[in-house]
Amino acid sequence: MLKETMTRKERIISAVNLKVPDRVPVAMWMIQFPLRYKGIPQSLGYKDPVVTIKALTDTFHDLGGYDGQIQGDSIWPSSSWRISAAPTPMHRPGQEGEENEALQAVEREIMTVEDYDKIIAKGWNGFCEEFLPRVTGRSLDKIDASQKKLLKVYVEDAKKWNGIDVPVMFGASTCDCQMILSLCRSFSKFTFDLYRIPDKVQAVMDAMVDDLIQNVINDSRATGIPWVFFPLERGSGAYYSLKIWERLGYPYLKRMVDAFVAEGLTTILHFDTDWTLNLPYLRDLPRTKCICELDSKTDIFKAKKILKDHMCIMGDVPASLLSLGTPEDVTAYCEKLIDVVGVGGGFILSTGCECPIDAKFENVKAMIDTAKNYACQIFPQ
Amino acid sequence: MSELAEALAGLNEDYVTKIVQRKVTAGEDPECILAELRQGMDIVGARHKKGEYFLGELVFSGEIFKNAMKTIEPRLAKNQSGKEQVKLVLGTVKGDIHNIGKDIVGNLLKIAGFDVYDLGIDVPKNAFVKKLKETDAAILGMSGLLTPSFEAMKETVEALKTAGLRYKVKVIVGGGIVTELVRKHCGADAWTDDGIKGVEICRAWAQEMKK
Ligand code: B12
Repeated sequence: MLKETMTRKERIISAVNLKVPDRVPVAMWMIQFPLRYKGIPQSLGYKDPVVTIKALTDTFHDLGGYDGQIQGDSIWPSSSWRISAAPTPMHRPGQEGEENEALQAVEREIMTVEDYDKIIAKGWNGFCEEFLPRVTGRSLDKIDASQKKLLKVYVEDAKKWNGIDVPVMFGASTCDCQMILSLCRSFSKFTFDLYRIPDKVQAVMDAMVDDLIQNVINDSRATGIPWVFFPLERGSGAYYSLKIWERLGYPYLKRMVDAFVAEGLTTILHFDTDWTLNLPYLRDLPRTKCICELDSKTDIFKAKKILKDHMCIMGDVPASLLSLGTPEDVTAYCEKLIDVVGVGGGFILSTGCECPIDAKFENVKAMIDTAKNYACQIFPQ
Repeated sequence: MSELAEALAGLNEDYVTKIVQRKVTAGEDPECILAELRQGMDIVGARHKKGEYFLGELVFSGEIFKNAMKTIEPRLAKNQSGKEQVKLVLGTVKGDIHNIGKDIVGNLLKIAGFDVYDLGIDVPKNAFVKKLKETDAAILGMSGLLTPSFEAMKETVEALKTAGLRYKVKVIVGGGIVTELVRKHCGADAWTDDGIKGVEICRAWAQEMKK
């Protein structure tokens, strides 16, 4: 074990501030894995918060502890029915799916081109007054009551983590405009919109972005946790040209992040898929206020080169490696990350996206242990 | 380059529709129209190779192509395009309901000239085997976005072996987190996390098979 001179929170904050912590911090996003590892049906885990938080904290202890808990439990906290996300129908374990199956999204066209005009007229929240009941079959009052109840549970669970000196890095969440529209229209339909009616898409984004921002601010005040979890998964340079990104992706991202910074929030940019081409733009976001979280599809070594004096990087142990690899493979992968991305600080070791449901326990442990045992062999230039 | 090919390559949807309509009304040979459309798609492919076009342009040009085909297909001789097409069975494996990537790659494969039998999502291994036997398809493409799907892919390859099909069917696995480790695990011949690369692999196989 490397000598530890910092608390977990100090270690994480120091990485975000691009300082060199006593050792590389390791943060985990995992809900499905602890449930399965503890032999609890996925269905129960999502229904019963008491069971879930126990599985999560027990697994934390079995793994010998780690530095940051990204999501406090299985809840996406929101202070009201106003969500900055797509109400994508889910295939839930024990409901649409089998008891022990992984949660999955059912992507279909839940929003039509005609809905675009409604968003333009009413903004995102105004549109959702009609949209959410239509898609979920539940009234706004019902959704609101259930969100408020879940929020209370979430805040309690976050306190439990804080009680064992683990910071929770998720106090509110939002998706970007592109991701919300892509999920609601479905990938192909939204792609057609980008070419057929880009002006309309832009007008929709202009009409929705301020609501997305306000929802996050309300939610983070309600949880009291100054971290925003910000999935961006449908606008990367793997899918669309930089021309589209410069018009319909980046400007809105920048506007949102700037607003979060003004509110004193730290944002985890959850960049699933390959964002390598988009990386240079991130240098234009406020320094040390965001984390660039990668899922192994973006070239993380290139990310280090581009962002090293600007933004903390988090990731990116691949899901398939955690599920199919050996502890030796995982250790080697993490050592390389610590050497190349950890050099000079500004790095948090983590899984690419959520830790897979069927990860091997010994692989997850190997990952965490590498952060605790392995010192970067390279000295900053 | 023909006007039509250029319009398609430039993603000029309205113009493509107009030219196709005009040609059809003028009684032009639908085979020639199809050839021009294919030429347009080849240019899209070339621009993608050069890094000028992305998945988005491929998906959208595929849509324009598909709509143009609706106009000319009824006029095409029945068996013409079927002759040389390599058959391919496609599906998302058991337990996995992700369809977006599979649908995209299915369309790209059709445009590239494959005869695609898409079994949909959550496809049990026996359904793959049955379809392969029934169609005598030369390629099996399996999609999966979740780690538990790797086991289902492996079981399907095993089922192919048991059915005595493995030696004559090429297997490719695809999806956002599929890697070489996944390919090895399930005993496939190739893997990809990129639909366009996937089509290239299948094309290369088809060419080998025709030799
Ligand atoms: C968008 C997205 C979502 C959306 C839903 C999308 C949907 N319809 O399911 C939302 C936000 C709702 C979501 C939720 C979650 N997600 Co998600 N998500 C993604 C993401 C970023 C992109 C998937 C996508 O839509 N791709 C778009 C299409 C076009 O790409 P594609 O499917 O990869 O297909 C392309 C190629 O792979 C190829 N291809 C695909 N199949 C085939 C087959 C053949 C034969 C060939 C040749 C080629 C080929 O061609 C396509 C075109 O290029 C992936 C990350 C990734 N790197 O893939 C994670 C990912 C699928 N999600 C993941 C997770 C963990 C989740 C959640 C559990 C997170 C959570 N705790 O809430 C939930 C629920 C699970 C789920 N995915 O349904 C993990 C799943 C892995 C695992 N651990 O098992 C992934 C892989 C992220 C990761 N890197 O680990 N997600």
